[in-house]
Amino acid sequence: MTPNVLVFGELQDGHVVPASLEAIGVARTLAGASDQLVGFVAGARGESAAADFARFGIGRVLVADDPRLDSAPVGAVAHAVAAAARTSNARLVVAGGTTVGRDLVGRLAVRWEAAASTGVTEAAPVDGGVRVRRSVFGGRATETRRLDGERVALALRPHAFPAPTEAAVPLSAEKVATADIPAALFAPKRTGVKAPDRGAGPSLTDAAIIVSGGRGVRGPNEFRLVEDLAASLGAAVGASRAVTDAGWRPTSFQVGQTGKAVSPQLYVAVGISGAIQHIVGMVSSRVIVAINSDASAPIFKVADYGIVGDLFEIVPALTAEVRRVRGV
Amino acid sequence: MEIVVCVKPVPEAETRLRVGADGTGFDTEGVKFVLAGYDESAVEQALLLKEANPGSRVHVVSAGPSPRADEVLRASIALGCDVATHVDLPTTGASTDPVAVARALAVAVAAAPHDLVICGKQAGDDEAGLVAAALGELLGVPDFGYVVDLRYDAARKLLTFERSAEGGQELWEAPLPCVIGLQQAWNDPRTAKLPAILKSRKAPIAKVAPGAGGTTPSSRPEKFELPPPRLGAKLIEFKTPQEAAQKLVRILREEAKVFP
Repeated sequence: MTPNVLVFGELQDGHVVPASLEAIGVARTLAGASDQLVGFVAGARGESAAADFARFGIGRVLVADDPRLDSAPVGAVAHAVAAAARTSNARLVVAGGTTVGRDLVGRLAVRWEAAASTGVTEAAPVDGGVRVRRSVFGGRATETRRLDGERVALALRPHAFPAPTEAAVPLSAEKVATADIPAALFAPKRTGVKAPDRGAGPSLTDAAIIVSGGRGVRGPNEFRLVEDLAASLGAAVGASRAVTDAGWRPTSFQVGQTGKAVSPQLYVAVGISGAIQHIVGMVSSRVIVAINSDASAPIFKVADYGIVGDLFEIVPALTAEVRRVRGV
Repeated sequence: MEIVVCVKPVPEAETRLRVGADGTGFDTEGVKFVLAGYDESAVEQALLLKEANPGSRVHVVSAGPSPRADEVLRASIALGCDVATHVDLPTTGASTDPVAVARALAVAVAAAPHDLVICGKQAGDDEAGLVAAALGELLGVPDFGYVVDLRYDAARKLLTFERSAEGGQELWEAPLPCVIGLQQAWNDPRTAKLPAILKSRKAPIAKVAPGAGGTTPSSRPEKFELPPPRLGAKLIEFKTPQEAAQKLVRILREEAKVFP
């Protein structure tokens, strides 16, 4: 039997999420000439979601159509994925860079006895395994890692790979048995889902642009200046620890060592001095802009562009200019 | 409740990273190792649960090289953990593969009572975030990553917590045993008092061998690279705020190409 590459399809609202689709391109890169790509979906709507794979060129999809898997702990899902990987004689499983994808790979490392890595930004086949690149130390360094062995499981870094282009093929779905998943793995119950505790706009970890405010913004009401600028850019709103410690905004806004690590295309730091605590959480952003009245603030050392000035004058002017050029 | 906390020593945040002599990792010369940020929170969470549930005990476990593993175990004891176990791993090989580390940890965790295992969701050095999930599979129990607001409902014998997922905050109830990858971060976790620090220096640390799984890495770092140093901000010159705004927007669109 030819070895195969399995792509894990995570579902939301009955469809394969974009992060899983990013895994299709990586799976193609890593597949040998004679390898076949196989999709995997689970849950009550698995069968209809399988069509999403066919739309992007993966015709063979293994479906664990067990409604218990809709809201099951990742351990139960991993059980089904490992069974599918064995059924399809896969040597590689690729998952998107989601919270489930990453935990799944950790479980598969043991259950499927695979070499495993997460946060993958580049992947290439090598003799006897896969070579990956990934960001470490909050983006302050990069490592190249070699995964050896007959089975490899990877979770990607979100947004590191392009979405595949459509190339529809006929769908051939096959069922995967789930009866042997131990009951203990279903014992935890999901009792609800709350909307994320954040302002309008995208989440910090998904956003292409982030505007963050710091102590220099002076207070909870003045923080609206930061949020207005973010709204004009379609950006997520972040904050330094000084802001969340003072209670101006909830801790879910915090970027930094004890908050979220982010790496957007554009990070705008408003009234943030640039303590190392904050820097380690945002330094891997592609372009960094700092607006601060203190020219000696350490944030200007890591920023690409800086405006030394009064943020209460600069930020409203910037919001107006962005609105003007974007026509919003 | 028997609570196990798994901790990893990582370079303190202020460390100036340098590439090590063999090029595969960072230079550890002169580096101070401390509890990984989320692991420090995991210890705090374990101690809060212990305080809320009388009769509980906190067992702290680390799998890694000496002496840095002993140091973070002693730091955890100084904070209030009751007993400590060190699974000794060499500085290269197994200790650089998160799956091998999980297998080594599992040897120590499985050998002692464990109702609840708490790990930081990831360590600030390799940022793999694989240990909690791998440990869950090794122990044959469910695991949850990205957990915040963890509580124990003693009357119903259930853990209740939130999990930060892409679609929002998921609310969960889970019976024990269970492995948690903690995302919660306290900005002001407790600090150890001097007498406790002095006492922790003499605290016994149990030594456990890693077993076969914990000595066989399935991945290895080949190259460690630092990005070119940032040169510092290009400062925008302006006479009015409007001029500053116009110049910045033009640069972001035309030079940096970060928005259309």
